[in-house]
Amino acid sequence: MSVAELKERHVAAMETVNSLRERLKQKRLSLLDTDVAGYARLQGRTPVSFGPTDLVCCRTLQGHTGKVYSLDWTPEKNRIVSASQDGRLIVWNALTSQKTHTIKLPCAWVMTCAFSPTGQSVACGGLDSVCSIFNLNSPMDKDVDLPVSRMLSGHKGYVSSCQYVPDEDTHLITSSGDHTCILWDITTGLRTSVFGGEFQSGHTADVLSVSINGSNSRMFVSGSCDATARLWDTRVASRAVRTFHGHEGDVNTVRFFPDGNRFGTGSDDGTCRLFDIRTGHQLQVYYQQHGDNDVPHVTSIVFSISGRLLFAGYSNGDCYVWDTLLAKVVLNLGSLQNSHEARISCLGLSADGSALCTGSSDTNLKIWAFGGHRRVI
Amino acid sequence: MLAAVPPVETSDAENGAEYSFAVEYSGPPVTYDLPRAVPINVERIPVAAVVAQVSLSDKLSLPVVQPLLAPDPRSKKFSRELITLGSDSATVISPTSVIAFDRDNESVRQCKELELVSEATVSPTSVIAFEERDTGNEGCVVSGEFTSSGVLEYSNGHYGSGDLSDVANSSRALGFSSISHELSHELLGGAGSSSTIEFSDILDKSQGSSLRVSNGRKESLDINNDLNQADWVSNESVLSFDYPSSRISSIKAVDCNNESNYDLKRTPVVTFRDVESDGAFDEECTQDEPETMPAKRVPQTKGKKGSCYRCFKGNRFTEKEVCIVCDAKYCSNCVLRAMGSMPEGRKCVTCIGFPIDESKRENLGKCSRMLKRLLNDLEVRQIMRSEKKCEANQLPPQYVCVNGQPLSHEELVLLQTCPNPPKKLKPGNYWYDKVSGLWGKEGQKPAKIISPHLNVGGPIKQEASNGNTQVFINGREITKVELRMLQLAGVQCAGNPHFWLNDDGSYQEEGQKNTRGYIWGKAGTKLVCTLLSLPVPSKFSNSCGEQVSSLVNKTVPDYFEQRILQKLLLVGYNGSGASTIFKQAKILYKEVPFSEEELESMKSKIQSNVYRYLGILLEGRERFEEEGLIELKKKLSSGKIGSSGNMVNNDDKTIYSVGPRLKAFSDWLLKTMVSGNLEVIFPAATREYAPLVEELWNDSAIRATYARRTELEVLPTVASYFLEQATAILRTDYEPSNLDILSAEGVTSSNGLACVDFSFSPSAPDDNIDAVDQHDSLLRYQLIRVPARGLGENCKWLEMFEDVGMAIFCVALSDYDQFSFDGSGSITNNMMQSRKLFESIVNHPTFGQMDFLLILNKFDLFEEKIERVPLTECEWFDDFHPLISRHRSNSNSNSINNSPSLGLLAFHYIAVKFKRLYSSLTGRKLYVSLVKGLERDSVDAALKYAREILKWDEERANFSLSEHSIYSTEASSFSH
Repeated sequence: MSVAELKERHVAAMETVNSLRERLKQKRLSLLDTDVAGYARLQGRTPVSFGPTDLVCCRTLQGHTGKVYSLDWTPEKNRIVSASQDGRLIVWNALTSQKTHTIKLPCAWVMTCAFSPTGQSVACGGLDSVCSIFNLNSPMDKDVDLPVSRMLSGHKGYVSSCQYVPDEDTHLITSSGDHTCILWDITTGLRTSVFGGEFQSGHTADVLSVSINGSNSRMFVSGSCDATARLWDTRVASRAVRTFHGHEGDVNTVRFFPDGNRFGTGSDDGTCRLFDIRTGHQLQVYYQQHGDNDVPHVTSIVFSISGRLLFAGYSNGDCYVWDTLLAKVVLNLGSLQNSHEARISCLGLSADGSALCTGSSDTNLKIWAFGGHRRVI
Repeated sequence: MLAAVPPVETSDAENGAEYSFAVEYSGPPVTYDLPRAVPINVERIPVAAVVAQVSLSDKLSLPVVQPLLAPDPRSKKFSRELITLGSDSATVISPTSVIAFDRDNESVRQCKELELVSEATVSPTSVIAFEERDTGNEGCVVSGEFTSSGVLEYSNGHYGSGDLSDVANSSRALGFSSISHELSHELLGGAGSSSTIEFSDILDKSQGSSLRVSNGRKESLDINNDLNQADWVSNESVLSFDYPSSRISSIKAVDCNNESNYDLKRTPVVTFRDVESDGAFDEECTQDEPETMPAKRVPQTKGKKGSCYRCFKGNRFTEKEVCIVCDAKYCSNCVLRAMGSMPEGRKCVTCIGFPIDESKRENLGKCSRMLKRLLNDLEVRQIMRSEKKCEANQLPPQYVCVNGQPLSHEELVLLQTCPNPPKKLKPGNYWYDKVSGLWGKEGQKPAKIISPHLNVGGPIKQEASNGNTQVFINGREITKVELRMLQLAGVQCAGNPHFWLNDDGSYQEEGQKNTRGYIWGKAGTKLVCTLLSLPVPSKFSNSCGEQVSSLVNKTVPDYFEQRILQKLLLVGYNGSGASTIFKQAKILYKEVPFSEEELESMKSKIQSNVYRYLGILLEGRERFEEEGLIELKKKLSSGKIGSSGNMVNNDDKTIYSVGPRLKAFSDWLLKTMVSGNLEVIFPAATREYAPLVEELWNDSAIRATYARRTELEVLPTVASYFLEQATAILRTDYEPSNLDILSAEGVTSSNGLACVDFSFSPSAPDDNIDAVDQHDSLLRYQLIRVPARGLGENCKWLEMFEDVGMAIFCVALSDYDQFSFDGSGSITNNMMQSRKLFESIVNHPTFGQMDFLLILNKFDLFEEKIERVPLTECEWFDDFHPLISRHRSNSNSNSINNSPSLGLLAFHYIAVKFKRLYSSLTGRKLYVSLVKGLERDSVDAALKYAREILKWDEERANFSLSEHSIYSTEASSFSH
C-alpha cells in the first residue's frame, strides 16, 4: 500500500469519524431537553444564600516567597502541602497555621503537588518532567530540607498534575505535557500503565489535569489542551472509556463530583461544565457573563462535599462560588474582605469539607471556613 | 540624647515642677492646676506662629521621610509603609494633642489650635520639625486641664479644620491617604474621654468620608480597625496594632536621620506620663502607660500592666511570647492568632517585613517554652529556622561600619560567610586588619582574629584602636595591652617599630624582607594573650586562605542568593544548537562540568548514537547494493554480448557487498533499530561487538557507502565526526572528550528543562578589575534551557519564567536550507519554524518587557554552506543580493581593507532581518551575537555579552541620557 493511498484512506476515515461525531452531537442535543438548572427551577429550588459570616477567611498561611501554584490536603489530618514558584514545597498544619516541613526542590519550576492518602509522603512535579516523592518521615539534613525519596521519570513533557490513588500510598497518576497520563508504582518507580500517547484514543495535546474518582478509584478523568476531557479505566490503558467534548478552549482543570458519577471541568473558554460519566452528557454549563470581551479563564475548581457548591477560580482574580443546582453565582471569594491581593490559582477542600484552602499569586494561602456561631436548634 | 530633651523643656518652661516629667510624674492631682497654665499660653501664641513657619521650612526638607518609602516591591508592603507613615505622623501629633487636651484651659485654645495647624502641616514631612518646635519653644508643653468641648469646637469651626483638610488633600496628592485617617484617629485617641463629636466634623470635612465618630475612644478604634484590614479580630487591640508600625517607621527614619529622631521616640513617653497624671483616660489605660515606658516606641495596650496585648488577660507573671519587632507580648491563647504563621519568626502579623529590634537579636532562633508547648517539634524548628534565615531579620549592613565605611549587602554576606566570621556581629563601628585578620571595635583593642583578606570596608586607619604606643602593626597604632603582649612574646619593640603582621602570625619590620618570627609560635604567648584577653588565631584560620578566594563554592544564604541570581532563559528550535551552548556553558564555568553518572550516560548515548549512524550506513549500503545489482543486471543484460568476460568474478557482487559475518551483524543491528530498543541493548553489546565494528568500518563496502553519505538524508552532519573515530568510541574504555560531548546529539535530556548555575570567573587579567567588578563576582547566573517542544502560543507554563532577566533565543544559521515536518505535518523550512517560534515567544505576555539576545549559531557550518547553497533557499531571505563579484575580487586579492566574507555579509543580513522583525513586534532593540557553538571562546563571549546587557539594564535608569548615544551607535554598528 503506498503512502498516498494510506493518506487518502486516513483522510476518508477522519471524515467519517467527524461526521459520526457530529451526528452523535446532534442526537445528544435532541435528547437533551433540559439541564440541571432548568430542572431545579422547575422544582422551585432557590439558590443557596450566604450570610456575612458563613464563609470567612480564618487563617492566612504566609511563608512562600513566590506565587503559589498548587495545594493539596491530607485526607485525615488537617495538613496542607503547597507548591510555589520559589521552588519550595511547604507542608502546613492548617489548625495552627504553622509550617511543619519546607522542602527545597531540585527543580524550582514546580506545577503540582499532592499529599499521599496516609499523609506520610508528598509528591510534586513540574517542568523537569519528573514526579518527585518526598517521604516526610525521612530525616532532615542540616538545612531542615528533605531529600528526594523517589524520582518517577518517564514523562517526555512537563508534569502538569499528580494525584495519589485513594487509599493507596503506592500508586500515583500523573498527567503530562507529552499528551499522556501515567499510573506509577511508587515502590518500584516504574510505570504501571501509560494512558494515551501513541494510541489514537488518547489526548492529542498537553494533558493539564487529572482527577481520580473517589468512590471507584479505578476510574479517572483527564482534561487537556485539546479541549476535551477523557474518562479512563486504569485497567484498560489502551483507550479512553469516554471522551467528553463541549469546551471551546483548553480544559485546565477537572474534578470529580463527590458522588463519583459526575465530574466538573474548568476551561479557557471561561466556562465550568458538569458532565455525567454514565451517559456522557453534559449536564450544566456554568458561565458568568462579563461586560467586556475578555473572557477570564477558569484556572481551578473544587466541589463542596455535598456537591451543592462549586468553587471556581478565574484568571481575572475572581473566585466564584456557584450553586451547582441553579447555576447561579452566590458568592465571590475574590471580593470578600481579607481576600487575596492577587488572583487565586488553586483551590482545595479539606477531607471533611469544613474548610476551603485557596492559594494565590500573592504568595499566601488562606483557609476559609464558617466563621459565625452556630445556632442551636 | 533621649534623656536630654525633656529637661530642656522643663527649663524652658516657667514652672519647672510641671514639666520635669520624670520627677513630677507621680502626681495626678497636678492636672487641676488650671490657672498656672494661662500665662504660659499667652506667651505661646506668638511663638507658635513662628513654629508654623519653621515647620513649613521643614516640610521642604522632605527627604527625611524617604527611608519609609524604601524598597519594597510588593504593593502590600508599600501600602503598609504608607500606613506606617501615616501613623508616624499621627504619633507625632498624638503626644502634643494629648498634652494639649489634657492640661489646657480656656485660654489655651488658641495655642491648641495653632498646634493643630502646625502639626498638620508637619505631619507628612518630618518628625524633627515637631521635635524642634517642641524643644525650641515652650509652646507645646502646656500644663493644665483641658475642658474638652470648647477647644474642640474652636478648632472645628475655624482654620484648624481647614488646615486639616489641606493636609488631607496634600497627603492624598502624595498618595498617603491613610495619613489623614490615622491622624484623625490619633487625635481622637489622644482626646480620650473628651467629647469628639466636633472632631468628627473635622474628619468629615477634611476627608469627605463619613466616619461616624460618635464619641469616646472605642469608636475611633473601630474606625481604625476598619481602615486596617488586617486579620485582626479584637477591636481593643487596635492600638497595639498601630503603635508598632509607628515605632518601626521611626527606626527606619533613623537610617538616614540623625539622632534627633530618638527624641521622637521619646515624645510619646512624655505624653503618656502626662496622660497618666491627667487621669482623663480611663483607669486601665493610665495604669498601663508605664508598661510602654522603655525608650523605644512600643505597642500601646489597653489592658492592665503585664497583661496580654490581645486579650488583656493575665498579669505580669503569666507566660508570654514577645514580638521581636515591637515587643508586644501575647499569652499562649493569643500568640498563634496574633503572629499567624510566623513566616519571619515571632512577629505580630503586622510587623512582618520589618527589621527586628536589635536588642533581641541574640534571642533569634532561641525557642521559648511556650511555643514548644503549643506547637510540635517540627513546627517550632521551622519557625526558628525562618526566624534566623529570613531576610528581614538579618543585620542591616549599613549599621555595621568597618574601618569607617558602612558595609554593603555583599560585604556583609562576605563577612558572615567567611570560614572564621566575627561572632555575634552587632551594629556598630569596627576596625578590621585585612592582612592579619585582626578584628575589633573601633577605638578598642582587637577582639578576635577573623579570616584575613576579606574585601570589606575601607582601609584600616592609624587610630583605629585608639592606641598611643607609637608602635604600629599593619598601619594601626596598637594599644598598650597589645604592646605588653608583644613584649611578653619576645618581640623587639624598641624604637617605635612598624610591624607587618601576616595572618599566619609571622611578622616583619616594615621595609624589611626577612621574617622576624612568629608571634603565636610559642605556647606561652597564647597564655599571655588569654590573660590579657587578647585574641589568638583559631585553629583553622590558617588553612582558610584558599577558600576565601574561591567565591563560587561558597554557600550563600538563601535570601541573598535570590538577590544576586540572574536568570537567563535559553530557548531554541530543535537543532538550533541551544543544548550545545548549554553544554558549553557547563564546560566553561563549572569546575566539574559533568558528574560521573552523567559522563557514563553520555558515553553510552554517544556509543548508541554511533551504532545508529552505522545502522543508517548499513541501510544505505543495502540500498546501494540493490541499486548496484540492478544496474549490474542491466549492464549484464545489455553487455552480454560485448564484455561477458569481465563479469565472471563478481556476478552478484558490487563494491557494496559484505561478507556473511558482517552481513549477519548488519542484519541484527538493523533489526534492533527497527524494533526501537537500541538504547536498551547497549552498553552491554559494546564489548561484544567492538571488534566487529572495527572490521565493519574498515570494510571497503562501508567505506564506499560512507563516501556517498551525502545521499543518506537521515544521516546527520555530525555523524561523520563520530564515524571517523567509530572504533575508538566503541571501545569499552572510551572516555568522551569535551568536543565529543558538545557534538553529540541528545546527551542532555530533551524531555525537561535543565539549568546550570555559574558565575563568571574574575580570572581574565585583561579586564581591569576595579572594586565594583569584585562585587560582580558574587553575582550568579542561571542558564535555563527550555525544551522547544510545547512552546506554543498558548503555552501555560511560560509565565513561570517571569522573573527571568533575559531570554536568549538560539537560531542555527545553517538551517536556512533544511526542511522538516512542522506540527501540522507539512514540510517547512527550519529557519521559518525558528522564526515562528521566535515570534510567538516574543509576543508572549510574560516576556513583554524582557530583553532578548539572539544567538546566531553554527556560523562555522554556515560559512561553509553558503558557498555552496544560496541563502535565497529560504523564502524569508529571498532579497539577499550581496555584491558577490566585488567580494570575490577582494577575497582573492586579499586586500588590506578586506571586505567581509560572504558568510559575514549573510550573517549581518539575517541579523537585520531578525532585528526588524523584533522591533516591528515590540518596538525595541534586539541584541544579536554570532556564535560558533563548538568554540568555547565564542560562547563565552556571547554569555558575557548577555551579562553586559543585564548590567546595562540596571544602569539604564540612571543614565538614560548617555544610554541614548550608546544605543544609537551600537544599533548602527549592526545594521548594514
